[in-house]
Amino acid sequence: MDMRKQGWIAALAACWVLGASGAVWAADLPPLSTNLTMQAPQPAPALKLKGLDGQIHDLAQLKGRVVLINFWATWCPPCRREMPSMERLSQALKGEAFSVLAVDVGEDPDTIDAFTSQLDATLGFPILLDTRSRAMQAWKVAGLPTTFLVDKQGRIVASAIGGREFDHPEIVQAIRDLIKK
Amino acid sequence: MRRLSLTLLALWPLAVAATTESSTDPETGLVTWQTETAGIQVRLTQISPDQARAFYQARGFSAAAAERYAGECVFMTVVRNIGDAPIQHRLADWRYVSAGQAPRPIRSKTEWDRLWKRQSVAESARIAFNWAQFPATQTFAPGDWNQGMTTYSVPHGGPFDLRFVWRAGGKQHSGLLEQVRCADGHA
Repeated sequence: MDMRKQGWIAALAACWVLGASGAVWAADLPPLSTNLTMQAPQPAPALKLKGLDGQIHDLAQLKGRVVLINFWATWCPPCRREMPSMERLSQALKGEAFSVLAVDVGEDPDTIDAFTSQLDATLGFPILLDTRSRAMQAWKVAGLPTTFLVDKQGRIVASAIGGREFDHPEIVQAIRDLIKK
Repeated sequence: MRRLSLTLLALWPLAVAATTESSTDPETGLVTWQTETAGIQVRLTQISPDQARAFYQARGFSAAAAERYAGECVFMTVVRNIGDAPIQHRLADWRYVSAGQAPRPIRSKTEWDRLWKRQSVAESARIAFNWAQFPATQTFAPGDWNQGMTTYSVPHGGPFDLRFVWRAGGKQHSGLLEQVRCADGHA
């Protein structure tokens, strides 16, 4: 059996296990929150990682755009729950100066593919691979999911710890306000 | 000893009385305990040994290492800020009490990591383990919440009380989840 096929089988097995256990844990989770915590602007750490698409994605190249940076993993139930709303947010702001970067921690492309292929929608934003969780440490992330909002000047202006409903009107409005600044 | 332990817990600074509620998942039979007090919500949901074992084996743990973890009493732990002021969480401040035992701290991620290194668990698996556990410290703004696994050295099926502690407004507070029970060994 070739390596790629073995990888897919392992990914599918992991997905089955995580799907089963994730469903159990998700059955009694708190609802996703609908707010971001605004904060005094501070320079964002560097973020330059290879993406699932094989391209290098560099936050520095996105100056002039508002960027939502989401640290996540497929085994994290609230991360899985909030992912579709991040895609809806991305679609709602399509054509505006806004980007989403989803940074996966510690997983291989096959595992991520196995999860994203289960979603109803195809994700339009890049998934970055923080294989050794170095970026998470640089961004001082203590738990998953954690999300940051970076303004057009490259400063962190808001954050969210725990799952969010990203296309909630309150969050969409907060982002639009930043885009207009 | 049990009475002494409970007395110690009762003397915790700024302890707030709150009711522990529980519910059972009809599909799995796994139980969740939850309490809300003074701007914080804490809930523990049983994770069965089978779930813990499968989760970590899927993340690259050997059967022996996964079995070591599954032998503990494992809970999915959720802390949520339901108030209007930031709260600071430090897992090292939490204590649990089971029958005949003095209050004990929760085994930290650092302690677990030492064990995994001794057992030659791969780095990628240890990274997954680290992020799957409940964070050691974290500040939760209003609306923030997080979840992760916590472990207790209590026999499967055994009960314990959990004293959770947080800081808000420059003061330390605590609350109690009472009569939490580990998932059965055969669950």
